[in-house]
Amino acid sequence: MKIDIRHVAKLARLRIEEDRIEKFEEEMLSIIDMVENLPPISGAGKDLDPSNPMELRKDIPTPSLKREEVLKNAPVSQSGCLVVPKTVD
Amino acid sequence: MAMDYEIVVGLEIHAELNTDTKIFCGCKNVFGAEVNSCCCPICTGMPGSLPSLNEKVVDYAIKMGHALNCTINNVCKQDRKNYFYPDLPKAYQISQFDVPLCEHGYLDIMVDDQGNTKRIGVTRIHIEEDAGKLLHDDRFNGSLCDYNRCGVPLIEIVSEPDIRSSAEAKAYLDGIKATLSYLDISDCKMQEGSIRCDVNVSVMEKGSGKFGTRVEMKNVNSFSAAVRAIDYEAQRQMDVLRKGGTVDQETRRWDDMKGVSIMMRSKEDAQDYRYFPDPDLLTIVVDEEHVKELKDSLPELPGHRMLRYMKEFGLPHFDANLLVENKEKAAFFDEAVQFGCQPKNISNWMLGDVSRILNEKNLTLADTKLTPKKLCEMIALIEKKEISNNAGKTVLEEIIFSDKTADQVVKEKGLAQISDSSFLEGIVKSVLEANPKAVADYKGGKTNVAGFLVGQCMRASKGQGNPAILKELVEKEISKL
Amino acid sequence: MELYEKSAYELSGMLREKKCSAKEIAQSVFDRIDAVEDKTQAYITLTREIAMEQAGAVDEKLAKGEQLHPLAGIPMAVKDNICTKDVLTTCASKMLYNFVPPYDATVMEKLNACGTVMLGKTNLDEFAMGSSCERSYFKKTHNPRNLDYVPGGSSGGSAAAVAAGEAVIALGSDTGGSIRQPASYCGLVGLKPTYGSVSRYGLVAFGSSLDQIGPFARTVKDAAMLYQVLCGRDPRDATSSKRERPDFVAALDGNVKGLRIGIPVEYFGPGVDDVVKKAVFAAVDQLKAAGATVKEVSLPSTDYALSAYYIISSAEASSNLARFDGVKYGYRAPKFDGLIDMYERTRSEGFGDEVKRRIMLGTFVLSSGYYDAYYKRAKLLQHQIADEFAHCFEDCDLLITPTAPGTAFKLGENVDDPLKMYAADICTIGVNIAGLPGLSIPCAYTENNLPIGMQLIGPKFSEDLLLKVGDCFETIYGGFNTVAKI
Repeated sequence: MKIDIRHVAKLARLRIEEDRIEKFEEEMLSIIDMVENLPPISGAGKDLDPSNPMELRKDIPTPSLKREEVLKNAPVSQSGCLVVPKTVD
Repeated sequence: MAMDYEIVVGLEIHAELNTDTKIFCGCKNVFGAEVNSCCCPICTGMPGSLPSLNEKVVDYAIKMGHALNCTINNVCKQDRKNYFYPDLPKAYQISQFDVPLCEHGYLDIMVDDQGNTKRIGVTRIHIEEDAGKLLHDDRFNGSLCDYNRCGVPLIEIVSEPDIRSSAEAKAYLDGIKATLSYLDISDCKMQEGSIRCDVNVSVMEKGSGKFGTRVEMKNVNSFSAAVRAIDYEAQRQMDVLRKGGTVDQETRRWDDMKGVSIMMRSKEDAQDYRYFPDPDLLTIVVDEEHVKELKDSLPELPGHRMLRYMKEFGLPHFDANLLVENKEKAAFFDEAVQFGCQPKNISNWMLGDVSRILNEKNLTLADTKLTPKKLCEMIALIEKKEISNNAGKTVLEEIIFSDKTADQVVKEKGLAQISDSSFLEGIVKSVLEANPKAVADYKGGKTNVAGFLVGQCMRASKGQGNPAILKELVEKEISKL
Repeated sequence: MELYEKSAYELSGMLREKKCSAKEIAQSVFDRIDAVEDKTQAYITLTREIAMEQAGAVDEKLAKGEQLHPLAGIPMAVKDNICTKDVLTTCASKMLYNFVPPYDATVMEKLNACGTVMLGKTNLDEFAMGSSCERSYFKKTHNPRNLDYVPGGSSGGSAAAVAAGEAVIALGSDTGGSIRQPASYCGLVGLKPTYGSVSRYGLVAFGSSLDQIGPFARTVKDAAMLYQVLCGRDPRDATSSKRERPDFVAALDGNVKGLRIGIPVEYFGPGVDDVVKKAVFAAVDQLKAAGATVKEVSLPSTDYALSAYYIISSAEASSNLARFDGVKYGYRAPKFDGLIDMYERTRSEGFGDEVKRRIMLGTFVLSSGYYDAYYKRAKLLQHQIADEFAHCFEDCDLLITPTAPGTAFKLGENVDDPLKMYAADICTIGVNIAGLPGLSIPCAYTENNLPIGMQLIGPKFSEDLLLKVGDCFETIYGGFNTVAKI
């Protein structure tokens, strides 16, 4: 079993220093290995649980935040908007 | 020998739902508000905030599912689609992955003027949240994020790759739009982005039944752009294949201004969205009784209505198609036929002068004072030959924006057609006297000058003479001479 | 006895009898904070002004003869991953070093309505990922019972504050043991409620399907009082449960006659220190003497629970923590070249190693080609573990286990070995995986003055029973309410 740490880091938008990649892989593998060694598990997936249904929200408006509140934690804002480096599309 | 190819198209349509609030929070779902003024901790993805699903979103999606003949999965779930982009504040979109709310449906589209239809499969309809908007300003080196649109409810309608031409694609898109509009679940305003579509195009050797490599096209912002994008992309792929090349699986961006598609992402860069069930939301369970109630609440849908207009009223496909385009127009037509005019005449007026006036002024029927009854009173006057067709146009211009009836306008403007022979005889006689040459020509066998003479009589009657009677009188009077 | 040493229940009575004012109570606790905070490092932020204002408001109500909630005027600490309106909420991360939420968590709204007095926000392992409180970006908290030792984690700051007398009660959060393990290390009562019984709205998410907010206190009765306020359906948290709430304090009747206790053998394996086993067995014997029956039971999948826990919690965390990208709040890297570089630098500089490790693991197990092998299997395992617990509860009312395999370890001892650190969670994660309630109460102290905790585990929504048995044991034990001598 190998983990492509660089690929995973790219997906997670993290940068792992080259000299630490091996350690990361080793640590992740130790967890992964525990699952590799699991005995076969019976039973189907239970992604759906109709016995515990979700209560839905009524379509009734509630107050929004003031714009200052939306922006007050933003590292950079301008003209009522948050600012990010230029995007292509 | 050049290979013959067939186009294969699948469409993914995103439609914003016109609920009062967003999908997961109580912020208002409105278009055009000041930037970042309809936002809260939930739709801006603040730490600690949690989603709570709007019940209307589920109802609306189920209605669409019924309208497109889908199976409704009344037990389903929501999943997270993970990717980083500044318009997506949580860095995941709450969508539905393997268990959509609706699946296995279809829409029948008209493929010719004889009312023949083709069935386009609808793979699935699922609910999800919209992303925010990024604003670009050349004066400034960055992009601005407006989160008002974050959390606006969307349904995504995915078709099977059953579409074989851009014309079929257009018919399918029109059908979906008309259905959304009939159900009153989306504003359907292309210019506001309330309907958007992604287009999947491939080409295959005719008759082979083997699909080619599929290219996904993004940024298709209107239905007419979809037609152009499909035609362009299919041609591009055929050119590649005919030159012996291969089509790559990729995502391309449609530039409608330039009329070309540009590579965005290759297969190697394909995103890994790491879908998994959203742990913040439990299983959606819609009571089966409620699913049925929603089905029973559906209005007559555009496809059915179009066929009815063709069968019941003998309208051509072209007319029927335009009339059912939106519910308002179709309802107006349905009411108008109750007043006993010829359905084709009603259709001609609605699709002709009425539409022209509305388009010129950028209005809808609801903005005017025209009622089916008023329109039919006017048409009835023409059918009874009490006014001319031309006078009808004048009448329409008046009654469409006022409380006046057709009768009132005809009286006020003296537009009534004169059918009284004794009165018209005098006019005919004086016209014949004034045009001895034409009369001579007629007698000499050039009977087509009758038209000229009738025209002169019309002018003399200030347009009010009944042309049919005038023609009769002209012929009668000349023969007497 | 100083005011800060008293229990919430006692203080509540004294306020009503006008033996002291809320301001006096708050002042006493702040005096204690001033005296010992240097040594414990329990708090990230102190909210002295807010506290005195809230205490003043309670005194005014008292003066007017208005009805007071039992928790009115009680000084409370709040873990710094629970959003507090207009008060810094950092999750002990550089990533949120300056984040001031514009809203209150549901539990804070409820507590504010009761008139509790907020002392400040307590330290934790960054984003609640850790078992020692050493993984905070800001500081390392010390165990007030013995300052050379860790207080446990991740809610180590809240545990230390209550144990040191720097708070009377506190809020923690528990994803894999983050309330119970520090409660055990610090000699406190700590309750991890049934999943769905307390609203998570406003709790900065780590593992959404496992996280619960719960109380720390020095007595079972105080924990019951606080839990009474915390629990209940919240329409803003779809996973919160609609359920009638009993009166948890009234349920403390001291009676354990006929109680059927199960002892899961897997929780007393070779990984657990003998001193811990001995203490827990002795406590069980005392409950037996009070009328309970005891039998051995088995939870065969216990050994695999750790992997299921790390896979599920990390997968959820990788998604929950993706929003920290330098756009909307918190840290943004000062230098970058374009959008992706900004994301990567911000996240690499803003998160600590443990957080990165878990984001990486979670991203991997959800990634294309691995989902079925890891995430899906972990979810299957989760159901199996839950089924095994449910099976035990067919003929047991509750289970008793150690809360942690050992007593608190020394600061720095395990910090470089994530696996060893993870082992501190083996007794607590099963409860989170199965969504059950778990109560940790002290049952003994070692020669180094390090507490040993025992864990009571019950079926879903059996908090009333756990608190009742805990309270009964507290009486047998001779009372828990001790503030650490520092």
